Amino acid sequence: MKEDSLKMTSILEVENLKLAYGEYQVLEKVSFSAKRGKCTVLMGGSGCGKSTLLKSMVGLLEPQEGRVLVDTIDLWAVDQAEKTSILKKYGVLFQGGALWGSMNLVENVSLPLETYTELSEAEINDLARYKLNLVGLSGYGDFYPAQLSGGMKKRAGLARAMALDPDILFLDEPSAGLDPINSHRLDNLINELKVSLGITFIVVTHELPSIFDIADDSIFLDGETKTLLAQGRPSDLRENSEHDRVRSFLRRGTPISKN
Amino acid sequence: MSSEENRSNPPMQGESKSSYIQFRREQDFVDCVLKGNWSIENNSGFQVRKEWEDLFKNNPTVQVFKFQLDSQIKWDSTLVSFLHKCRNDLVELNKSIDFQALPSGLIQLLELSKPTLLEKKQNEFSLSLELIDNTINYFRDATLSIFSFFGEWISSVVLLISGRSKTRFRDFAVSCRACGASALPIVTLISFLTGLTMAFVGSVQLEKFNAKIYVADLVCLAMVREMGALMVAIIMAGRTGASFAAEIGSMKLNEEIDSLRTFGISPMEFLIVPRTLSLLLMIPLLTIYADVVGILGGLVVGTVVMDFSVIHYFEQTQVALQSMWEVYSGLLKSVVFGLIIGLVGCYKGMHSGNDSSSLGRAVTASVVVAVTIIVVVDALFEVTFSYLDLR
Repeated sequence: MKEDSLKMTSILEVENLKLAYGEYQVLEKVSFSAKRGKCTVLMGGSGCGKSTLLKSMVGLLEPQEGRVLVDTIDLWAVDQAEKTSILKKYGVLFQGGALWGSMNLVENVSLPLETYTELSEAEINDLARYKLNLVGLSGYGDFYPAQLSGGMKKRAGLARAMALDPDILFLDEPSAGLDPINSHRLDNLINELKVSLGITFIVVTHELPSIFDIADDSIFLDGETKTLLAQGRPSDLRENSEHDRVRSFLRRGTPISKN
Repeated sequence: MSSEENRSNPPMQGESKSSYIQFRREQDFVDCVLKGNWSIENNSGFQVRKEWEDLFKNNPTVQVFKFQLDSQIKWDSTLVSFLHKCRNDLVELNKSIDFQALPSGLIQLLELSKPTLLEKKQNEFSLSLELIDNTINYFRDATLSIFSFFGEWISSVVLLISGRSKTRFRDFAVSCRACGASALPIVTLISFLTGLTMAFVGSVQLEKFNAKIYVADLVCLAMVREMGALMVAIIMAGRTGASFAAEIGSMKLNEEIDSLRTFGISPMEFLIVPRTLSLLLMIPLLTIYADVVGILGGLVVGTVVMDFSVIHYFEQTQVALQSMWEVYSGLLKSVVFGLIIGLVGCYKGMHSGNDSSSLGRAVTASVVVAVTIIVVVDALFEVTFSYLDLR
């Protein structure tokens, strides 16, 4: 009974995942679930496998063991057509934005729409410009990625990730390399989108202010034991986690004993 | 208590310019006093290291090494790195090192640099079964990935023909312009000069037999059968094949390929099929053009240098071209060359690594591999044609 109600609310479940690059093992025995309409943060020190875990969830790196369930369908067990239909529910923002350099911003946002919808060119153009306005890039539609600053590329990447009104948005270090004000603005945007559109967010980050701002839930990956160490609300974990490493991470390394 | 003194460098008057160690052997430990000027700017460190290694070898029974600084010493990171090395040497042999007498700042630095993992010592020349195994695996993986790439390309083309592909006509058109029209100037220059050169070389030989007019035959047949297709292929390998590899490789570097995949858009359909197909279409067209320009090159030599009339030269060319098969065989080859160039360029781009140096290697490899395959395949074609009496 309890399990049923859990499944009702979780949109993405990761079961016993084992990830490796060739011989080099990155993570093992990772299991967690992300709740619908909430923001789940993947945190942990540099090199602990956060981005790798994200890659396996968005269909780029096949896990050696385990399953990734999206609305109870295993992403890695279905055929290409079904995988594509799952991927259509996704939006992914890569670390550097990963905008297509040969297209301007409007074309970047339009491409997924052209590929998957029957909308007219004018409608697509309007939608693309609307999404760009949403992330504060009004008037930059005809710019090429090479003409933009790092922060603008990231925001444009977010606009593109939202092009198909995804159910789940994966963000890989969205605020890395942004100044505090833009970083804060991005956090606000995430919170607003979550509430107004009901998008589920999976965010990889290790920026503490961001984590406390946006996270409803979080998981902590540990580079030493190569697995998931803790799951919970970051503020709870900071006070009550049984693991020193988790508490010290969330306090910027200040050694404080468990109270 | 016996004591023995040893000094690495002769003592100097006044302030010492170089670093040195003074060892004093006690019964069960060695006392090392570090002296002089330990700086990255002087080069006495090598000497000191050698002294340390000698001491280390000559006193295998000593278990404890104590270190202290002379009051006049000047030091920077070279001293810390030397002590770091001493510590590693001693830890390896389970001996103990005593840093207690060092100043606290130095101890702090050594504590920070303490290795968390034991650095593995690698056997440099281990030609073992493992190496052979790795090589076999490498070739097996490479073969597999080439075949799966080609298979994926074919299935994407089939999807395109059946109208279920996400390939965009716009990308195909843009690519056609880039590898077709934009290549016209270089193709013109090279094939004109090729025809011209062949006519010159041929005229000298044919003059000896009083058969100068056969220059027209020579140039025409050589161009349509061989040189047109081959020259265009080599130009396109250097021009278009390399640009495919560079473009796709840098897209991979920027995670642009990954972001296509996360939208469920296959890079094969979106990037590779339009590029390879446009090359496949453009290369025979360029080859026909190169054939014509090459013949014109021969014509210039024939009329200006050898004083034939234009009509005479063209008539002779017409006689030489007995059947259109001569032209078609060249075009057939050029289509195969185009396929090779496009697939090799895209494959190398898709399989370049995630750093800029491997992108450079991928571009180089795309040209080298494509040109090599083209020359080999060209030879195979000619041998086959001649055995089948098609020449």
